[in-house]
Amino acid sequence: MSEAPAWLAPTSLAEALELKAEHGGEATVVAGGTFLAILLNARLIAPAKYLALRDVPGLAQVEANGELRLGAMATHRAVELSPVVRERWPTLARTFALVASPRIRNQATVGGVLADADYASDPPALLTALGARAVVARKGGGREIALEELVTGYYETSLERDELIVEVRVPPQGRAVYRKFRSRSHEDRPCVGVAAAERDGELRVVVGAVAGRPQWFPEICEREDPAEIGRRYADAIDPISDARGSAEYRRRVIAIEVRRALEELWSG
Amino acid sequence: MADPRVTGAARYAEDVQLPGMLHARIVRSPYAHARVLSVDASAAGEDVVVLAPDDVRGLRRYGCQIKDQAVLALDRARFAGDPVAAVAAATPQLARAAADLVEVAYEELEAIFDPVEAAEPDAPLVHDTAAISDNDAAYFDLRPQSGTNICHRFRIRHGDPETGFDEADVIVDETFQTAGAQHVHMEPHAALARWEDGRLELWTGTQTPFNLREDLAGIFGIAPEEIRIHCPPMGGAFGAKTFVRIEAIVAALARKANRPVRCVLERSEEWLTLNRHPAVIRVKVGARADGTLVAKRVWCWADTGGYADCGPGVAQKMGFAAPGPYRIPHVWVDSRAVYTNLAPNGAFRGYGQMQCVWSSELAMDLLAERLGLDALEFRLRNVLREGDRYCTGEEMHDVHFADCLEAAARGIGWHDDARGKGLAVVMKGMQTPSRAGIAIERDGDRFVVRCATAEMGQGARRAISLLAADLLGVDVARVRFPDPDTHLVPYDTRTTSSRSTYVMGLALERAVGDLREHGERGYGEIEIPGGLDPDTGQGVASHHWHQAAAGAEVRVDEETGKVEVVRLHAAVYAGRVVNRAGAELQNEGSMIMGLGTALLERIDHADGHITNANLSDYEIPSFADVPPLTHDLLEREGGEIHGLGETALPPVPAAVGNAVASLGLRVRELPISAEAVLAAVDEREGVRA
Amino acid sequence: MKVSCTVNGDAVELEATPDEALLDVLRRQLDLRSVRPTCGIGVCGACTALVDGEPVSTCLLLAPLAEGREITTVEGLGGDHPLQRAFVESRAFQCGYCTPGMILSAKRLLEENPSPSAHEIADFLSGNLCRCGCYLKIVDAVTRAAA
Repeated sequence: MSEAPAWLAPTSLAEALELKAEHGGEATVVAGGTFLAILLNARLIAPAKYLALRDVPGLAQVEANGELRLGAMATHRAVELSPVVRERWPTLARTFALVASPRIRNQATVGGVLADADYASDPPALLTALGARAVVARKGGGREIALEELVTGYYETSLERDELIVEVRVPPQGRAVYRKFRSRSHEDRPCVGVAAAERDGELRVVVGAVAGRPQWFPEICEREDPAEIGRRYADAIDPISDARGSAEYRRRVIAIEVRRALEELWSG
Repeated sequence: MADPRVTGAARYAEDVQLPGMLHARIVRSPYAHARVLSVDASAAGEDVVVLAPDDVRGLRRYGCQIKDQAVLALDRARFAGDPVAAVAAATPQLARAAADLVEVAYEELEAIFDPVEAAEPDAPLVHDTAAISDNDAAYFDLRPQSGTNICHRFRIRHGDPETGFDEADVIVDETFQTAGAQHVHMEPHAALARWEDGRLELWTGTQTPFNLREDLAGIFGIAPEEIRIHCPPMGGAFGAKTFVRIEAIVAALARKANRPVRCVLERSEEWLTLNRHPAVIRVKVGARADGTLVAKRVWCWADTGGYADCGPGVAQKMGFAAPGPYRIPHVWVDSRAVYTNLAPNGAFRGYGQMQCVWSSELAMDLLAERLGLDALEFRLRNVLREGDRYCTGEEMHDVHFADCLEAAARGIGWHDDARGKGLAVVMKGMQTPSRAGIAIERDGDRFVVRCATAEMGQGARRAISLLAADLLGVDVARVRFPDPDTHLVPYDTRTTSSRSTYVMGLALERAVGDLREHGERGYGEIEIPGGLDPDTGQGVASHHWHQAAAGAEVRVDEETGKVEVVRLHAAVYAGRVVNRAGAELQNEGSMIMGLGTALLERIDHADGHITNANLSDYEIPSFADVPPLTHDLLEREGGEIHGLGETALPPVPAAVGNAVASLGLRVRELPISAEAVLAAVDEREGVRA
Repeated sequence: MKVSCTVNGDAVELEATPDEALLDVLRRQLDLRSVRPTCGIGVCGACTALVDGEPVSTCLLLAPLAEGREITTVEGLGGDHPLQRAFVESRAFQCGYCTPGMILSAKRLLEENPSPSAHEIADFLSGNLCRCGCYLKIVDAVTRAAA
């Protein structure tokens, strides 16, 4: 019989970073724990050590001065219901509200959804389109990672083994839309997610749920015709085939949904 | 006192526990078709009870219609997931760990996954022989085709279609397909067994206690009376909890362990236990220019998976309902239950009718279109009416197909504008023949109903209690209906086919009469005769018919293929409604399940492995998927109770399919995926892929 | 390890390993059977409990994360809560397996939104699956309870 796993519950960020540096990938970080529990229930993982962030103060805030600061441990529901997010980053509030069910949103966190790098997610595409940055800490230092550099592939990030996401910072939102295309049930995960945001004249279109990382092509975004941008995105992406649609089908939908996102964005 | 379902006090089969019980875990073949060479459980541990092939080799084969199953896959595993061994340990976790340590050596064999290919004479055989079961569930003459994978063949021979087609001005000849589906009852399969002095006692979620008892008696070589089956309420069943599922393995483990053994399946295992028959159905139907149907030829291939279960019965019912409720002078049907190397397929709400209604009703709309006739008018012209003979030779009585169609059409505003709208009508047979017994006991100023009808949420026990109270002249609060126990209840065919309220209602009348005469206990039984010749399809298919029609209105996003149902209406002939709230729930539930079939549900597999065995990849309808939905319960004065458990399901997918087709978008497969609709848009627009 | 929390109003000390889900601990230690292991991935809602008043899939909540929290299952509603009465009056269940999760989720909804429209009810509850298909009557029940 194997021993029960260890549960490490630091009570300060410094302690958490110390433990992360010491145990690295051998200690599985627990934020909300939803994704982790799914893997546990399926017996795909059996960690010997857990590093829980629950008791670390200062990680659950949802506040704004000029920028929005979302603590890594802020839940999806906290973002969805926050008055300041609803008022000043309404597309972000609506996008977090689209994820799964209220139950999941009560548990799953901002940091978790990014660190898990699950491709079939909604928030990463919009956060990338809004120019968000992940604030990452390690023992004795830290850095900021632009969202487009954070997720590197299916369930892979550019985080080092001793790093933790502590916050996500989002610049003021200009015009922004997020479209979640579900090919089947209303409860389905996205088949194609399209985020389009404009700020200071710069357009960002980011397509999520179709490949390992959110798909952004700055040079295509310099074009002006929604249909053309849609077609070019469809050509540029090599989509995945899964239960929600084949690669070919996704390609067709990408073209349509990108066009529609831009039409929505520019309809005033 | 509040209903236990809202207080958390509800208890289901999975809640039954006994002190000292062990927990079972099944070891399953990873291969779709393989010889089982050896099973080595030496690493499993001392505190673990192992059931290996040698432990069950001496037990007899079983099967509700074809005796093709052994307690464990002995010579070969016939689907990925086929049980080859089992273990029991003190906790479910220990059992899982032990199961992972059992080493099984296999030799892979050629596998087959398509029922049309599997039906060919040169296909690799899933079974070498076919023994017809003597179980009461084998209620018709079976026709296994020796040397092939066809374990039953049902035919209707009525007139001569070739002559008929000569008279036709328009002929439609199309092939349709329906995917496999999972029942997704929320409570998993659960069973607990214990032995005492050579007698077996079992608590299990089952709809078929007497059929189960019969098969278990055969397996273990004991008298049926030596087996006692308790039937706790089930958290849903929909046909999945029928006949022998996990009970034989659990009983065999309990006997070896000399301790009670319980098994509760994990969700992923539910796709390896019993599913719905995928089907390929070819329909050739002809009509004269004036819209009169003249001939119909139907070929059905029902994929029954690695073991027949009640596949023969499903193929037969699929076959006899395939012509649809229409007057057609020449009808031939060939329906086959075919083995493949997939998980076994069996009873699923609708029992073969959904598949043939999909095919038949889509073909009808195609025919209407080519004739230039309104789809409703075309149906009304040909629909069976009171006194008509069906192609089985039976005279139709209590016939209301036209009323159902007209009500369905009204329900979706057909006469205002038919574009984007579709209709479908179903004739569904009720288990025929069958028999049922019921007893009523006086208990002070109260009464106890002894009846084998199982509770799976359908409310039949409530309805039967209401009928009893009515007959006895007392308030229903004075009628108690305990969970069925085969030692205490009279024989009943089974709780399937939407038959229970009706059949038990008839038996009840006799039981109450008997009680009045004899004082303390009254017994009544009913036997419903009938049946069909499997070679000609002649006889009585159904004592009375379940009848319904559905209408659907859709909007299609032609750039993505996404179908949105904006209105759904079903009109169901109920005859006489006993429990109105229960009737509404059954209609609504059937329609919603029909929507799942229409748009969402499909078992995906690759090389025989199911790739979407979880509730995220395999989706059932949620709240937000339900469109504005209405229904009618058609009754008439003096009408017979007609079961409602399934009737509103089969016409829903066809109504949706016809609605989509009314936009010029041809789909032939279920579920109707957005991708398929997009392909249909391309086809209509003449766009090359 | 020990996890101190409140369950249905009672202070309890749960015994759990860190990788156990709260679902299993509630059933094993407290014999609360209204929370049921059904899908293992948090999509069906049959394991729903309220944690500090918010609906959560207990199959996905690691037991240590329940430390210091108030947990409510349907057994803790007393049996005569307006929602329980409304579900019975509206006949909003068939097999009843999903019903506890429905009631608890609806409870949270009505606290946030005392007069929800049918659409809002369906939207909030859409993550609770009912295979028997009682959705229409469940919306009726929640509407009735809100009145």
